[in-house]
Amino acid sequence: MNFSSNDTDDMLSETVRRFATEELRPKLREFEARRSVARDVQERFESLGLAAIDLPEALGGVGLGLSSRVLVNRILAEADAGAALALDRFGPAAYVIETFGGSDLLERYRDLLASRPETRLALLIDVDAGTVLEGPVRGEAAWIASGNADVLVCLRRDGAWVMESGFELEQARGAALHATGASRIRYGGAPAHVWRDSTLAAQAWAKVRLYHAALIWGVLVDAAGFSRRYALERVAFGKPIAHHQALAFLIVDMEIAVERVGLLIADAARLIDAGMDGTGAAASAFVDAVEASRFVGPNAVQILGGHGFMRDYPVEKAMRDSRALGLLAGGTDAAQDDAGAALAPANPMEFAA
Amino acid sequence: MVDFSLSDFDRAVLDGVAAEARVGEKYARYYDEHEDEVLPKSFPEAAQFPPIQQRLRGRPRDDTPMLLLQVLMRIEREAHCGVPLRQAPTALGNAALGAAGTDAQKARWGNLMLAMSITEPGAGSDTKAIQTTARLDGEEWVLNGDKIFVTNGVRCDGAIVWATVDKSAGRGGIKSFLVLKGTPGFELVRKEKKLGIRSSDTAAYAFRDCRIPRDHLIGGDEGVPRGEGEGSASYKGVLKTFNMTRPFVAAGGVGKAIGAFRVARDELAKEGIAVDFDDSRHARSATAQTLLELEADIEAATLTVMHAAWLASDGMPNNLEASVAKAKGGEVCRTGPQRAMDALGAMGLSHDYQVEQYLRDGRIADIYEGTGQIQRLVIAREILGYSSAELT
Ligand SMILES: Cc1cc2nc3c(=O)[nH]c(=O)nc-3n(C[C@H](O)[C@H](O)[C@H](O)COP(=O)(O)OP(=O)(O)OC[C@H]3O[C@@H](n4cnc5c(N)ncnc54)[C@H](O)[C@@H]3O)c2cc1C
Repeated sequence: MNFSSNDTDDMLSETVRRFATEELRPKLREFEARRSVARDVQERFESLGLAAIDLPEALGGVGLGLSSRVLVNRILAEADAGAALALDRFGPAAYVIETFGGSDLLERYRDLLASRPETRLALLIDVDAGTVLEGPVRGEAAWIASGNADVLVCLRRDGAWVMESGFELEQARGAALHATGASRIRYGGAPAHVWRDSTLAAQAWAKVRLYHAALIWGVLVDAAGFSRRYALERVAFGKPIAHHQALAFLIVDMEIAVERVGLLIADAARLIDAGMDGTGAAASAFVDAVEASRFVGPNAVQILGGHGFMRDYPVEKAMRDSRALGLLAGGTDAAQDDAGAALAPANPMEFAA
Repeated sequence: MVDFSLSDFDRAVLDGVAAEARVGEKYARYYDEHEDEVLPKSFPEAAQFPPIQQRLRGRPRDDTPMLLLQVLMRIEREAHCGVPLRQAPTALGNAALGAAGTDAQKARWGNLMLAMSITEPGAGSDTKAIQTTARLDGEEWVLNGDKIFVTNGVRCDGAIVWATVDKSAGRGGIKSFLVLKGTPGFELVRKEKKLGIRSSDTAAYAFRDCRIPRDHLIGGDEGVPRGEGEGSASYKGVLKTFNMTRPFVAAGGVGKAIGAFRVARDELAKEGIAVDFDDSRHARSATAQTLLELEADIEAATLTVMHAAWLASDGMPNNLEASVAKAKGGEVCRTGPQRAMDALGAMGLSHDYQVEQYLRDGRIADIYEGTGQIQRLVIAREILGYSSAELT
């Protein structure tokens, strides 16, 4: 048992934090407006090795585990979750590629990404795919958190597929995560790779969930922290608003929610890094992060009162971004199903015994 | 006996309002995405719909109280994003003028569109902390100070502005004044950029030695009452108008929740996911359960709004009930769209659907005209029997 961080993580945190506070946070609204991050920021991110933090060392990655990834994602998202998604051109699709295609395929797409600075992989989660996964696939999704994509990776309950052509993206507008762009996507045709394996799908999904949960965590850390600091300075009825118990207790509940989310994420990541089954824990962490976001996001706005409603402050963005992140990674209903399934014995009749 | 039924006449009026609101809905996204633009006075389609006064002609006298019908209309409108085909000719300031103005003032300014300007950078919930001053100089008041978050502040003809004539007198020194657009020293500083309700303009004002005639003091009473808990007649009069307007803000919140519910239900139906409310609890899907809970919550919130409006229309005190409605309405437009978005998944984020806008727009209902916390304070004082000095 050990709740302290190690030196690697501390160094990593420091690097990411410096990058996030210097390069991302000051340009929050600029990246939102241009619906992408600036090229030089992207280059700096990649030169720091942050893009490949959990890619195997053999593939030129840093070889740190999921625990480090969630740390990085949290800190980036404290600055700007949309930018965090935009910066990671491989993105959570890497987990699907790695889980199903192994390091050869991972290497292939890493090379593709290295060849041109604008290429990226988009991940689609098709929770309710009604058909058996074989042969050509066809469908559309109204909103994915990606402005462009060269490779489309789809994760389903029963497996995954990858398409290198046969899909088109149309710019879409949406509620949040503006810096990463958004598209409506239509696809149809034979995928370049199709895998049917629900066990692997569950493993990949666990990582995808933690990836997003960590982003939510970061947004909430920032929203809770920002509104807490505001509450110490803003005066109403002759005292700082934090001195009104209705707000003090609200602030406390927000902090508890954020703390809880962080612990569940760290625990699930640890399980997965140790090669254990982390599917249930990851699903729970995701559900909890979303729960917390429903509460913390809007209340960060609430604590700032009318000012929270204005785009002069970052809390309205935190409310939008955290809400949006919770709808990615397949959403909470599916995560709840999976968290429940992980608790239930394989044979339901065992309950009866 | 409690009776929530509506007459056929009122039902038809509400259907007409809904039909009109559905037309207005198609402009909602445009003004959401083009915040710099201010809504036109009316859209071309407005001609298809007779003005509401005309539609109310011949309404049976024993029908539902008018105020109640009005909040229900507000719900219908907001459930379709609330972009009006024709702009209301009045605003919050008109309500304040109606409550605290002299007959002569009402006659003189009643047909102008008047915004209400209380809030300042350093004073929102705590209205008595405002810093804007009004100093009598001969036959003129001289106003100095900054105001923010003025709804309709861009397009109005003028505003009812709160200022203190004597800071040492606290509440008693606060008066409201009519300031017309174009008065020297009255500057429209900016139009705010917001999370939601972007078709509603929100302005910041600055007053720099702004001179207005002496008779622009609303209510005309220049006396300054002293003592704890005291407030000038116009201060109290204006605060009292909020008992009338809070059910409308709450109705706005309820409408947003209904709008979000409707989008979720209809889009799921298109995908073949019909929600069967008659299924037993065990057979119900998680999605059905989500929508069911949302519907129940909307129903409850609607009733609180109706109750508060009904009391007010009957001249009964509704301070408590108006705050209950506002607190509840402010909440359901947060949880409602959130639930609807969960049911829809990532598509709920797209601007192709209105549901995310209901979440952003709806967030305001728990903030303006008294935050959710302030409503709870009002409720607490009422049910615990504390004064505002005892419980803050
Ligand atoms: C879109 C929009 C339109 C508006 N339109 C108008 C308008 O037309 N005219 C106008 O005058 N104003 C308007 N307002 C201002 C609005 O009424 C205020 O924003 C609101 O009253 C809250 O004030 P504040 O923003 O200063 O928040 P603050 O008063 O600073 O409150 C900050 C936080 O502290 C909490 N708080 C404060 N006091 C207490 C307490 N005693 N106990 C517990 N918690 C407390 C609040 O609930 C809130 O969460 C508008 C605001 C917005 C956003």
